[in-house]
Amino acid sequence: MTDIKHGDIVLAAKGITKRYPGLVANDRIDFEIKAGEIHAILGENGAGKTTLMSILFGLVQPDEGEIYAFGKKVHFRSPLDAIDLGVGMVHQTRKLIPAHTVLENILLGHPKAGTILDMKRAGEEVAQLCKHYNYPLDLNAKVWHLAEGEKQMVEIFKALYRGAKVLIMDEPTSALAPPETEKLLESIQVMTRDELAIVPFITHKLPIVLAVSHRVTILRRGQVVARLDTKQSTEQSLAREMVGRDVIFRLERGKAARGRSILRVENLSAFDDKGAQALTDVSFDVHEGEIFGIAGVSGNGQQALAEVLAGLRKAKSGRVLFDDAEISHLTSLQRWQKGIGYIPAEQRTVGSIGNFSLVENMLMNYHFDDAFSKWGFLNEKKARQLTEALIAEYGVATPSPDVKARGLSGGNLQKLILARVFSRKPRLIIVNLPTQGLDVGATEFVQNKLLEARKSGAGILLISEDLDEILALSDRIAPIYEGKFMDVIPAESAVRETIGALMAGLEKKAAA
Amino acid sequence: MWEFYARSFNASTIFMVAALGELIGQRAGVMNVGVEGAMLFGATIGFIVAKTTGSYLLGFLAAIAVGAAIGALHGFFSITLGGDQVVNGMGIWILGFGLTAYIGYPYTGPLGLERIPSVAGISPFFFLGIVLIAVAWFVLFKTNVGLKLRSVGENPSVAEVSGVNVVRTRYLSVITSGMFMGLAGGIYALDYNPVWNYNFLMGWGFVALALVFFSMWNPFILLGGSVLFGALWQLSLNPELLFEDTVSRYIWRTVPFVVTIGALALMSTQWFSSRWGAAKPEALGMPYEKD
Ligand SMILES: Nc1ncnc2c1ncn2[C@@H]1O[C@H](COP(=O)(O)OP(=O)(O)OP(=O)(O)O)[C@@H](O)[C@H]1O
Ligand SMILES: [Mg+2]
Repeated sequence: MTDIKHGDIVLAAKGITKRYPGLVANDRIDFEIKAGEIHAILGENGAGKTTLMSILFGLVQPDEGEIYAFGKKVHFRSPLDAIDLGVGMVHQTRKLIPAHTVLENILLGHPKAGTILDMKRAGEEVAQLCKHYNYPLDLNAKVWHLAEGEKQMVEIFKALYRGAKVLIMDEPTSALAPPETEKLLESIQVMTRDELAIVPFITHKLPIVLAVSHRVTILRRGQVVARLDTKQSTEQSLAREMVGRDVIFRLERGKAARGRSILRVENLSAFDDKGAQALTDVSFDVHEGEIFGIAGVSGNGQQALAEVLAGLRKAKSGRVLFDDAEISHLTSLQRWQKGIGYIPAEQRTVGSIGNFSLVENMLMNYHFDDAFSKWGFLNEKKARQLTEALIAEYGVATPSPDVKARGLSGGNLQKLILARVFSRKPRLIIVNLPTQGLDVGATEFVQNKLLEARKSGAGILLISEDLDEILALSDRIAPIYEGKFMDVIPAESAVRETIGALMAGLEKKAAA
Repeated sequence: MWEFYARSFNASTIFMVAALGELIGQRAGVMNVGVEGAMLFGATIGFIVAKTTGSYLLGFLAAIAVGAAIGALHGFFSITLGGDQVVNGMGIWILGFGLTAYIGYPYTGPLGLERIPSVAGISPFFFLGIVLIAVAWFVLFKTNVGLKLRSVGENPSVAEVSGVNVVRTRYLSVITSGMFMGLAGGIYALDYNPVWNYNFLMGWGFVALALVFFSMWNPFILLGGSVLFGALWQLSLNPELLFEDTVSRYIWRTVPFVVTIGALALMSTQWFSSRWGAAKPEALGMPYEKD
């Protein structure tokens, strides 16, 4: 294990098959990773990427197939076995303990941590590692203080400190702001160059794949459909292999009649969960047939704003008017009934209930509807029909509407939530990170749905970290930084660089 | 005056040891609201063993062992079977209440052994309690086992992918937790008040439970809280030690409980949790399911 040469096969899977009730998540997959390469894995939502990586990390047991690490056949009973052999993983959802310090997180479960933790020595060793990759970290900081990108690096350092030779990353960039992404990619490239750390990483952002990876494996419905050299690929060719059809990367925004103002926010201020001021004196309005885009790196108050508007958080001061009537005192349910739809960023915790079936999840926005519940009894048949119809219309990949929501892949869950909200035809849609974690096909789909809603006269408040998405969809753009709007810019005069700078807090201008 | 202090320290010892046990369990994410039940078991079994064998040592060992068994029982229901921790804890209290009344009834009366010597009226267990607090703090925050224990209480699935055996760690903590509760019961019945009576504890375990929340899961704050409550408790039993003529002792009797309710109510407010709420183990009370 010590003398790995560039190009050696370090991890290989042969004939991996994993079945879940009603579907085959991995279907006889052959796959190998070489030392010194960045190996990208692409596939639509639900194609089986996460499942395959979880198997290679010992988190999920395959039904069939073999795994070889450094030329030897291995059997991973748990992640511990994989870690011991030098396989590390950075998960799609953060796997850190926010209340603990960076160093404690890195040391957790480390086989050589000793009975009494030698914080000083471990600290020095980790600091050395940080220095090597030119990524300074405060090791005694509590993890909940860190930015998303730093947390990601903590996970990477955790794996490296344990001696990982293979680093599996599941959507490492989906929660990062553009500058953070660049820093991360730089570090990854350094790792493959000198440490022979191998990084099979999964992402939906094709430009990233093209920029940093050496090889690409593409999955579709659990099967490998292509193995490509990145050099010979283009965005179009990758997307075609993935989705099985051509994907249009340009959205036709078209014209929509801008109607009267439907949402008015006046001098709104709010606290976050920790009791700190998250939003300061924000005022704006959203019109019918308009997409109002709020561009910002997460953690700048957009979450609090969305929650106040959805009725999930109390404002500290200020007013919210819908249709010229004050709604500040209304509950979230009353707001739904007035036609305000909310698509939260936290699909798993706020957007859905994992242990409920898809039908039950669908009812979350229908239970108050007389057509679905009479005298306290839910009309299950009707709910089922509706769910089935929406599953078909939105292309949610699932064996049946009775499976639990937790079994859906990230992209499919997002589609389900969108279907639930859009099908109620809300007049105002508040949508937070709509395409986070979605594949190119699904992203295109969701963005088109938003444009459709706009065309039919709905007002849309779009919150996103993805500058491309904001620019492609919005009629007006408000970059948000530290709880304040830096400006409000009409789409015609929006310049990418300016907005990027405003999002980062540069060029402070008086809020419009 | 000194008598009051000495007696307060002795009372605080019992809160301290029992609450420390509860704290260890809760830090690993397992709440046991049946502290009182585990203490009743420890006290009764310890009392019977000491009385029949005439040995304090055997009495205390028995108290600790029965505490460990109760901890394991709680672990079986709430870790292995994934049941509701509050419901199981209530079960342990009811079981302890009923079963110890039955087992202990024939032994009603004083222990009849020579009292354990004290230092100027202060029980040696008070000093043991302080040592246990310090050791627990060290283990929780400075050792590998402690880090694992706190991690399974914060986020068991993260601990799992880091290579921690969640089930084993939780069992370890819940059994240790039970041992402390059993010991606390033993200290009560063999040292603090060596007489067996029907329902002799009357709420000590519940105050200990509240103390854990009050301590914000920090052993040293727990130490301070225990001493404070020890004093309040003592005041409620013998107010005349401090005040010449006082209001009815029944009013004093309610003081520790009123303070407990007040403190807990304060701590459950938004105002409090937005400032100091982060101390609570995130996965407290939640069974761990692998998915
Ligand atoms: N624990 C589970 N129980 C049932 N079905 C599951 C489970 N885990 C995954 N699946 C199913 O297996 C398929 C593959 O899921 P997987 O998470 O691997 O997809 P993915 O390619 O990572 O998708 P995404 O891009 O959305 O993250 C999906 O259809 C999913 O619903
Ligand atoms: Mg995935």
